[in-house]
Amino acid sequence: MIQIEQLTKHYTQGKSVVRALDGVSLGIEDGEFVAVVGRSGSGKTTLLDSLGLLLKPTSGRVVIDGTDTSRLKDSTKAHLRVDKIGFIFQEYNLLASLTVMENVMLPLGYAVRPNGDRAWARTLLSEVGLTDRINHRPDQLSGGQQQRVAIARALVNRPSLVLGDEPTGAVDSETSDQLVAIMRRMNGQHGVTFVVVTHDPDLAAKTDRIIRLNDGKVLSDEATAPMEVAV
Amino acid sequence: MKEIVRNLTRRKLRSFLTISGIVIGIVALTTMGALANNFNALLDGGAKYYASYVPVADANSNGVTTSGVLSVDKADEIAAVPGVARVFPSIGVDAKPGSLQVVSLGLPDRIVSYDPAENQYSALKTSFASGGDATGSGQIVLGSNFAAEFKKKVGDTITLPVKPADATADFAQHAYTVTGILKPTLTAPDTAAYVTLSDAQQLFKESLPVALQVNFDASHYVAGFDVYGTPGTNLDQLADRINSQVSGVKAQKPSKIIQALVAGGALFTEITTAAALLALIIGGLAVINTMIMAVSERVREIGLKKAVGATTSAVMREFMLESSFIGLVGGVAGFGLGFAVTTLINATLPASQGSIFLVTPGLAVLCIGFALGLGTVAGIIPALRASRLDPVTALRAN
Repeated sequence: MIQIEQLTKHYTQGKSVVRALDGVSLGIEDGEFVAVVGRSGSGKTTLLDSLGLLLKPTSGRVVIDGTDTSRLKDSTKAHLRVDKIGFIFQEYNLLASLTVMENVMLPLGYAVRPNGDRAWARTLLSEVGLTDRINHRPDQLSGGQQQRVAIARALVNRPSLVLGDEPTGAVDSETSDQLVAIMRRMNGQHGVTFVVVTHDPDLAAKTDRIIRLNDGKVLSDEATAPMEVAV
Repeated sequence: MKEIVRNLTRRKLRSFLTISGIVIGIVALTTMGALANNFNALLDGGAKYYASYVPVADANSNGVTTSGVLSVDKADEIAAVPGVARVFPSIGVDAKPGSLQVVSLGLPDRIVSYDPAENQYSALKTSFASGGDATGSGQIVLGSNFAAEFKKKVGDTITLPVKPADATADFAQHAYTVTGILKPTLTAPDTAAYVTLSDAQQLFKESLPVALQVNFDASHYVAGFDVYGTPGTNLDQLADRINSQVSGVKAQKPSKIIQALVAGGALFTEITTAAALLALIIGGLAVINTMIMAVSERVREIGLKKAVGATTSAVMREFMLESSFIGLVGGVAGFGLGFAVTTLINATLPASQGSIFLVTPGLAVLCIGFALGLGTVAGIIPALRASRLDPVTALRAN
């Protein structure tokens, strides 16, 4: 369960103050698949970074599984990230010098008590259809394959929350459909909460709920129409 | 470790040049350190030797340009001074008279008088690699370098002194039978040949101008005495007592001789320090530059690692390990190269010279440890930069 209460994030640009988030309050239930949409500059990414504990809010708080993160030290936030949060980025952000397996296992190296292991990483790679690419390097994979590796990496330490920043933004529509199907399957199979920022209306339409931001405020927060999802 | 190696091999040329910078510095440190080690071993042996006795010479001797002679009877007068345990006559002549000692870090070959009993008193103990003492006339014990230079072993005959090219027809030489070869001491005994007092006195007489030899009864004279004190005796004070109680002699304070030796050693310590500073500057700047470049190139990687749970200290540790590894590789390679160079040079030196480089386990630890420390320290600033990167900014960096 994620609770966001009166979250604000203000930046100073010259003499003016930019209100990237301006009093956002939300609740996200366990296992939800949520899309955050809005125009550029609406505060989507700032909200995602705040949820991922990468940004310190100006005010307000983010509570993850009962833990108020607003007063945590950076090192505690880092431990909370590796334990509870997975990330999927638009540009995949795989390390070129590591193999697929090593990329997937990367977060485990930073966990004090890892919740996954090599066997689990192999299972996840199997679930995203990359069993035969385990020893490949990222530059030997297509964009879609790289993003599937990133999905496996996001789940390797069994987080309760996965945050996606335009996860389908760098792939074609067919690959995008495949990635969305994989994420939905992971959401269904593993009960992991997904929050994805997207400009892609097709992706947003396949989620449980769409939160629309405008000028740092929640413009709308609606459940999507139920649909058949391949699991 | 695997990731560190991969990161270094991403930019092979740059890594090679950085490590080469450290290698150059450590080669300099190894060779200078080995040179200083060798010289200091020589001085340490000398200091140990001179700390255990009071050298006594003719009052007019300055020990360098004039040596003078003393009557053997002076031994009894010196022995009567309170605190004296034993007095040994001392005579030494050049083994290769007339030879020019060019720039050398070793000692000249000498033929010296020898009493096996003196070894019990001297702080610098010698022992035999083979054979035993010279007990009679015509017998000789050779130091390790001396034996190697003349390619002699126990039982061989050696003719000394070596006849110089411009020697007159009456230049005297004697054939000696080698009875023993000493183990290396890294100091004076290695380049010495030891004969009985009477043989040394004869050589001493023959080293004098012909006109002086005519009425010179060699058995009555020595060049000096080595005076050993009773246990607990202050040798500097003993020297003072000898000077005041025995006429016509000059006893040198051991502390003065040791001070002179220490001053000589200080120069080599300064050279070693300069080499270390050179290594520090060259290697340190190269590592800092490389690691700053690495941080600049891997900003997104750092952002990603922070996003997936790396703490500030974990990121810092990764970069410092990488720079330490660069230092370690440079240190091992530099020391290996330095060791090879010094071994090669030592092998090409004439046997009389012995070695001019002494590579010790301590020097190996110093060189490799220095390089490792250098890499670690040089990595601090780049690692701090990496660890302090804001993950949000880093993840979106181009």
